[in-house]
Amino acid sequence: MKIQFTEAQVALRDELRAYFRELMTPALQAECERDMGEGGGPLWREALARMGRDGWIGLGWPEEYGGRNLSPMEQFIFVEEVMRAGYPFPFLTTESVGPTLAEHGNAWMREEIVPKILRGELLVSIGYSEPDAGTDLAALRTSAVREGDDWIIKGQKMWTSLAHFCDYTWLAARTDPDAAKKHKGISMFLVPNSDPGWSCTPVHTLGGVRTNATFYDNIRVSDAHRVGELHGGWKLITSQLNRERLSLINFGPISELFNQVVHWARAEPGETGGSIAELPWVQANLARSRALIECMKLIVYKQSWAMTEGTLAMADASAAKVFGSEGFIEVYRLLGEIVAERGLLRSHSPGAAEQAARIERLYRTASIITFGGGANEIQRDIISAAGLWMPRASR
Amino acid sequence: MDFGFSEIQHDLRGLARRILDDAVSASTLAAYDEFAAPRFDRVLWQTLVDSGLSGIAVAEEHGGMGLGFMELGLFIEELGRSIAPVPVLAHCVAGMLPLQQFASADLQSRVLPPAARGDILLTGAFWSGSATPELRAQNTPEGLLLTGHCRAVPFAQQADWLLVPVQVAAGVAVVLVPTDAVGVRSNALQMTHFEPHADIEFNNVPVPEADIVLASGGEALVTWTRERCTAAVCAQQLGAADCALRMAAGYTSERKQFGVPVATFQAVGHRMADCYIDVECLRLCTWQALSLLGEQRAATTEVQIAKIWAGDVGHRVSYACQHVHGGTGIDRDYPLWRYCLWLRFNEMTLGSSAAQGAALGQRLARGEGLFD
Repeated sequence: MKIQFTEAQVALRDELRAYFRELMTPALQAECERDMGEGGGPLWREALARMGRDGWIGLGWPEEYGGRNLSPMEQFIFVEEVMRAGYPFPFLTTESVGPTLAEHGNAWMREEIVPKILRGELLVSIGYSEPDAGTDLAALRTSAVREGDDWIIKGQKMWTSLAHFCDYTWLAARTDPDAAKKHKGISMFLVPNSDPGWSCTPVHTLGGVRTNATFYDNIRVSDAHRVGELHGGWKLITSQLNRERLSLINFGPISELFNQVVHWARAEPGETGGSIAELPWVQANLARSRALIECMKLIVYKQSWAMTEGTLAMADASAAKVFGSEGFIEVYRLLGEIVAERGLLRSHSPGAAEQAARIERLYRTASIITFGGGANEIQRDIISAAGLWMPRASR
Repeated sequence: MDFGFSEIQHDLRGLARRILDDAVSASTLAAYDEFAAPRFDRVLWQTLVDSGLSGIAVAEEHGGMGLGFMELGLFIEELGRSIAPVPVLAHCVAGMLPLQQFASADLQSRVLPPAARGDILLTGAFWSGSATPELRAQNTPEGLLLTGHCRAVPFAQQADWLLVPVQVAAGVAVVLVPTDAVGVRSNALQMTHFEPHADIEFNNVPVPEADIVLASGGEALVTWTRERCTAAVCAQQLGAADCALRMAAGYTSERKQFGVPVATFQAVGHRMADCYIDVECLRLCTWQALSLLGEQRAATTEVQIAKIWAGDVGHRVSYACQHVHGGTGIDRDYPLWRYCLWLRFNEMTLGSSAAQGAALGQRLARGEGLFD
């Protein structure tokens, strides 16, 4: 047991910080800001491809995929730093779909798709939810019907985030409508978003972030686009979601925000003389935030370690997701109280201050991950069943 | 970054758990309820001494295992799990550790070997809320003369020697005092969790030169020791909270209402899931603090954070576990209630979550303790 970075890990972190200081030019930052922290713009794409060329995206991947063969911990340090730098990193593609494709995909996926992902040249959106299938995902109705050697895909997905600039959709479709249990009749496909039968309409959200409804109008794909076993998609979905839940909780940006709010509070004069940071209630909020973010850090580091050891437990991935998603909201509130009314000004308003405006927006976007990536109620069900061996009610 | 146990750590945990499982049960603990007897199992204590566990962090030259604070902390976690009636925090953490770190070689070789053998019992006065000692000393030709008091010292009436900070003209000194010295009087307290604590009064108690650990500069020893005591309380809280949680998960899985296990009600499952997350947070913060202290690295922030979690988690887990047990949770024929007392003690001693949070907040306002 040694809960500290090794010297090599500290050196890696420092190297990455220097790298991103240079990469995040003012023009790129402005583009990311314009795109609501979602990315997709030309400078964003260029920067992603550069990270790929420089060997960062595949840091923790085996060499056969073009990676550097380091461990998931080093991979995590990279993702933490890229997010800390304020770059909207497409972690769902690189950290969840990519590894699932490498593990379960066919030769085409392993030899073409995965290396392109690691080069920063290919992006994948995730097609799970439907208008009538959210938390009860196995109720999905999008169908894939066999026709000769091909599959005909038809249906609609909801909340297909980033799909408007992704290359493929990692799509769950019903391949056996007669399966005795509904989750046993689902298969996974990699559907090209460039197909004429593919379309999407934007859905605008509270936080200003765009997501999409996507439509699959009799899209024909070859069997090579099917991932893993026929009707065996559920296992891939849960495996991908486990990884997704981990990558949703990234402590880089929030620790950076915390530090900046401390610096700001120390410099900002209060009403009674002295700085805002001298107020006892401000110190209490800072301390609570600090203690909470510390746990976020340790939870994700432990899980990166567990992934390295091959011992990642389902209950712990769910615990990280619940704690992290609800913790973000709590910290945004605590820090928001400190910046007070300044945190009500949008970033382009006269008088807007950088940190306060960031909190204004974060407060509007933070609810997404308490239900996205699997509702927290379901995660708590998983924790009590898999972590505490408590029996579950049948559904 | 390694969250796994080394082979030695794994073996030590196993050894501690075997000894404690054998020796501690609801019925053995019942002997001390309501102060029927001082809560000190001397037979178990001797077993722990003989097994080497009490000397985990003592150097081999003094008869210990020569391991570190991390290993001692993992042992204390097991003590918390069993709420064993033994003076490990008093003797090993508040007594032997600071002597080994700060005392002269002579004093170490005089005290540590008999302490490691269990021939003498040590305790330390590092638990009071105030950092300034309420005990003063005058210089005499032979050494120091102490007058004043110190509060709520665990196992003060059972220990042979007391390690205590005293206010001197130059700041803080730290001395060893035999508990049967002339002028020392102790008053037993009745603590919520039945552990024997006592206030100690000193009335012109002479301390010879040879028993002075530090004649000045004792503030460093006090800070160093209190951080370790605090981390040890967190480890004890972790073991106790984990045990209470497992008890509640087990009970609700068996107990049926409306024809089904209570655990199948989502509200109950979710409350237990929240406790699971809480205990995991406490575990990680505590292990981090132990790990850093074990390497003699600066850990003020990490210890404060661990104690904030120890307070919050102890409170929430205690009431949640009582609640899902219904009346059984508070029934003295069922083992949970004693855990609730310990969860409360560990929450409040050495700074509550609010007090630790205030201290951390002040440091943050000075620009200390930010993220790397």
